[in-house]
Amino acid sequence: MLWLCIQFPNLPLEALTRAQQAGPDGSPRAVVEKEQVVDVNSSARERAVTCGLTIATACALCADLELLPRDTERESQLLQELAQWGYSFTPVVSPRAASPHSDDGSFACLYLELSGCLKANGGLEPLLQQLRSELQQMHISAFMGLGHSPSAAHMLSQLEEHRQWLAGAKAPPSPQQWRQWISFAPGKLLDCDHKTIAKLYACGIKRVSQLLAIPLSEVGTRFGRDFVNYLARLNGTRHDPVPSYQPPPEFHSELFFPSPLDNSEQLLFPAGRLVRELCQQLQRRQLYSQQLRWKLDFGQQGCKVLSVEISRPQLDPQRLIALTKLQLERLTLEQPVQAIGLTCDRLQPLGQDSVDDDLFGEASRVQRSHQLIDKLKARLGHQSLSGVTLKESHLPEQAWQSADNLVLNSRKRGHQLQPVNAPRPNWLLPRPDRIQCRNQRLFYRGELRLLQGPERIDGYWWQHRRHARDYYIARGDEGALYWVFQDLTSEAWYLHGVYA
Amino acid sequence: MSSAENLIQNKQLTDQLKQQRLDQLLARADIWQAANEHHRRRNGIATGYSGLDALLAGHGWPRGATTELLVDQSGIGELSLLLPALAELTRQEQMVVLVNPPHIPYAPALASAGVQLEKLLILHPRGPRDTLWAMEQTLQSGCCGALLSWQERQPPADRDLRRLQVAARDGECLHFHFRPQSCASSPSPASLRLQLASDGDQLALKLIKQLGGRSGQQLHLARAADLTRRDGPLH
Repeated sequence: MLWLCIQFPNLPLEALTRAQQAGPDGSPRAVVEKEQVVDVNSSARERAVTCGLTIATACALCADLELLPRDTERESQLLQELAQWGYSFTPVVSPRAASPHSDDGSFACLYLELSGCLKANGGLEPLLQQLRSELQQMHISAFMGLGHSPSAAHMLSQLEEHRQWLAGAKAPPSPQQWRQWISFAPGKLLDCDHKTIAKLYACGIKRVSQLLAIPLSEVGTRFGRDFVNYLARLNGTRHDPVPSYQPPPEFHSELFFPSPLDNSEQLLFPAGRLVRELCQQLQRRQLYSQQLRWKLDFGQQGCKVLSVEISRPQLDPQRLIALTKLQLERLTLEQPVQAIGLTCDRLQPLGQDSVDDDLFGEASRVQRSHQLIDKLKARLGHQSLSGVTLKESHLPEQAWQSADNLVLNSRKRGHQLQPVNAPRPNWLLPRPDRIQCRNQRLFYRGELRLLQGPERIDGYWWQHRRHARDYYIARGDEGALYWVFQDLTSEAWYLHGVYA
Repeated sequence: MSSAENLIQNKQLTDQLKQQRLDQLLARADIWQAANEHHRRRNGIATGYSGLDALLAGHGWPRGATTELLVDQSGIGELSLLLPALAELTRQEQMVVLVNPPHIPYAPALASAGVQLEKLLILHPRGPRDTLWAMEQTLQSGCCGALLSWQERQPPADRDLRRLQVAARDGECLHFHFRPQSCASSPSPASLRLQLASDGDQLALKLIKQLGGRSGQQLHLARAADLTRRDGPLH
């Protein structure tokens, strides 16, 4: 077993400020909880603001300090997102939230079991590099440790010597080296409460090696059963179970803006980051989504949901961003946006031949037409696009219907409807238009003369509303041909179509 | 290498470059060359009417260009004129897009004319800006066989027509634009302009403008016999 522990020391701050564009960290910021500073950014640290100070002291040290209240819910959500991210590398992932007592100094962390995924990722060094660069892209600061059990990895991640070794590590270390690091580690790195550590120091035990030299039964009587178990797990003589993470089959990620945005163009940058995160995950899990649901959170004023439809599996972030851009461009923001979220549920497994990455461009025309339709849908709205199909009916106005989804790949279905074998007009009026009838003569923009007919269409006589009509082809004064009918029940004349 | 050899080589290179530039220039659709006339002859898309094909420079509807159809009155067979070409395009798996059609395209009539209905897309964008955007995107997408558009109340600016013409050229798409006859006198960037009117039972066509060909000819096309047959019905 090879466990990697990734600790996130600045999670409280990053959960709140991750959305902002990377750049020189201008204003000093601190996250506070219960009148105490919990986390600070680098420019605040330069001004000697550290964790554990009271708000009053921190403000005295740095007058323009921006205080952000801690949001533990957002933090745990971010940790879940990170677990989902880790799950794309290895199936054995376990997130651990920060301990509620902020003075402990224990950070939220993520355990990854690496021995099963080294080969797929090209060895330890490339894998660690990939993890580091992706964390950097997500603007999450982290430090890592490697161990034979989660407890050992957690402890070693805090050991400076181990971290230095890990920065250039090429292969997993030998068991002796682990033992050496663990025994060399100072006692304060043990994952237990302050009281126990104080007791250890009172006994004169400063390093783990000194502790291990004492017989376990002796340690048990002084520090209790749990501590002995912990030592055994650290040693690797006992199993070290951690709760395993199961990812939901959906993607959700959210970015929060400490200073709300009031321009829809500004939303493009955070939206692009979310889309890139989505595409990475989908690619690894071989899934695709048919819909991107964007949620713009206006805080107290409610929220707005936009949805972007995607007709074909699409994993290219640039195209998804372009589609999102079309939607955002149409939008005028009435209230400033405080957070933007991207949700994709109903993720579906990617088929063998469904990705649009055709190497030889064989199906490029179909592909391009899918892209075109996506673009049109995004800008014009779903309802502006339609197709037409045949429908089986006696009534002319019911012999067609508008088709929602276009069948772009011609796939012949078993049953094909045949159109009626009689001259039909190219244009149909949405509602039959009344024709004036005076002295047995018909007038519609001039006099109409009947050429052919009648063709009797008598439908729904078994129902309440009977449709009995005699259809004729008529010619207007200027040579236009019309499709007119006489309603047999009311004897009124109507125009129903135009032979364009 | 001696300087003389170098000089000769340089000269050859510049000559090649010049030839390349010239070829690029000559490949443009809007440059007419007498020597290339037979090449250009048959790149149109057959209209389905041999009389009309004979009049048109490309022996068919000009590919990758705007064709303006000046019609005042619906019902004289203006859409039937295009249907054979549209049917052929949809049979070749190309999309046909109708932007803002004045009425509902009636599926049974189109299907019996041979149009594959699943290749037909109807767009109703809101407002002229969205309409122009949708038309331009569709034309230049390269996956659309033909686009039919109907002029809205206010005539589009000359600049927009030019953009659409360029987009049609980029996407190799047929663009048919229906306009009222009052626009006949105003200049237009379209490569083919046809005036359509009704003459008895026939459709009268007049070529107003044709790029790379003669204009001014007139042609009468008979309408389908089963439409104009007279039964003399009584009512």
